[in-house]
Amino acid sequence: MHTTTMSAHPISVLYLDDEEQNLTSFRALLRRDFNVYTAQTPAEAVNVLNQEKVHVIFSDQKMPELSGVEFFELIQPDFPDAIRILLTGYADIDAVIDAINNGQVYRYLTKPWDEKELKISIENSYDLYSSREQVKNKQVELEKACDELEKFVYSASHDLRAPLLSIKGIIKLAHQENDAKKYPEYLDMINTSVNRLDTFVQGVIKYYQNGINASQSAEVCFKTLLDELIGSLRFVPGGERLKFTTEVYQNRPFMVDELRLRIILSNLLSNAIKFSDPAKPDAAVSVSVWVKEKSCVIHVADNGIGIAEEDQQRVFGMFFKSASSNRGTGIGLYIAREAVKKLNGSIALHSTPGIGTTFSIEIPEGK
Amino acid sequence: MIGPEKLNILLVDDNDIDIAVNTKLLKLAELTDNIYAFSSGRQFIEFLETNATGLQKKFNVVLMDIMMPGMNGFECLDQVKALPEELKNSIYAFMLTSSIDRSDIIKAEQSGMVRHVLEKPLDVYLIKKFLREILQKSQENE
Repeated sequence: MHTTTMSAHPISVLYLDDEEQNLTSFRALLRRDFNVYTAQTPAEAVNVLNQEKVHVIFSDQKMPELSGVEFFELIQPDFPDAIRILLTGYADIDAVIDAINNGQVYRYLTKPWDEKELKISIENSYDLYSSREQVKNKQVELEKACDELEKFVYSASHDLRAPLLSIKGIIKLAHQENDAKKYPEYLDMINTSVNRLDTFVQGVIKYYQNGINASQSAEVCFKTLLDELIGSLRFVPGGERLKFTTEVYQNRPFMVDELRLRIILSNLLSNAIKFSDPAKPDAAVSVSVWVKEKSCVIHVADNGIGIAEEDQQRVFGMFFKSASSNRGTGIGLYIAREAVKKLNGSIALHSTPGIGTTFSIEIPEGK
Repeated sequence: MIGPEKLNILLVDDNDIDIAVNTKLLKLAELTDNIYAFSSGRQFIEFLETNATGLQKKFNVVLMDIMMPGMNGFECLDQVKALPEELKNSIYAFMLTSSIDRSDIIKAEQSGMVRHVLEKPLDVYLIKKFLREILQKSQENE
């Protein structure tokens, strides 16, 4: 029999013992401090484990069906994470030593239990459980980082070399043709390739800066920042034909990590330039900023080529490039999203192909 | 050597500069005038499908970039595999890449469609060598 107490204690404990009286006093003793489940048979105990997330399992050693050590051995494959403590009534110490040495049991306590010792053992077990959990989570994070790194190295080696090899090809061609009249055309092509490489390298540098720097908040005036960013973008190829408008509602200084804010805005703005619609004579980007009580909301809206619906979820991925355009390096929006994440903010997009794209960002105020 | 009238060269690459340079290099080598360029795998597949009857009588040498947005080079060849047998057999595919990665060599072997993985920029002498081999094989089979 077990009780399903719906208390909000963070630590859940299961106790298996064939003697009902022990279960009752265990519950009475611990229910105020822990989430307590009890079971009188191994089957009941497994039932609890299947339904609840249990951190610490106590088992009596001397039971009619299975010994405590055998029970722990039985559940080990399915519930490897719970910390196991054996309760022994008398000194069958050999079995206990074996179990501890085999790693099946974390600790043993003798009956009758000491109230303080019992509570301390639960807390220690929970600490162990939590630190193992943390290690596991770190491992998952590491694997993810490793995957991304591998992907990064693969893509970077291609994306870095591609423009260089284009240039190598142009030089080869120029040598073979040996026709000076064609050189201006080839110099233009080399120039395009150099710009592509530079854009990519700059993207990688921004990504790196976003990764290493600790957050540092400073007072930001959006009007000044946007004027500066837009001013420098006018000289980017394609930037001169776009009309930029800004609208800022800010009546107080806003605290935010300025470096990351710059990374986000400059990536979104250059994205708007890259994906502007060459067919539209009135290509435009408008940026609006609204400083609220505890956050700021930014919209960057363009009337560019838009993003196909099936790509909208994927544009923030690393090295994602849209099939419909070869203008991107596949890293700008990824960096923007990573920077937004670092600021604990959120980023979303709304886009209609042929009409345009609006990015919406909310960033909480920093300290 | 395969006669220029019997040979098509099809370039598939999202990089406009590489397309321009490789087309010029191939023209200089005077292998054939039939050089077609596609900036995406989709365009290439559409071309194969609409021109199947004309194409399948010739040697179709495909120079395919690996890293392309949307459909990459290998995914594109997977679609070629699904084409009618006669058309498929007329295609001789080479992968072109800016950096030869081990994983790409493995993918090329698994694909069963790829003759070689070549590093950019295009080496026309290598292409000529492969063309001789292709011709020799096809004459042996006759």
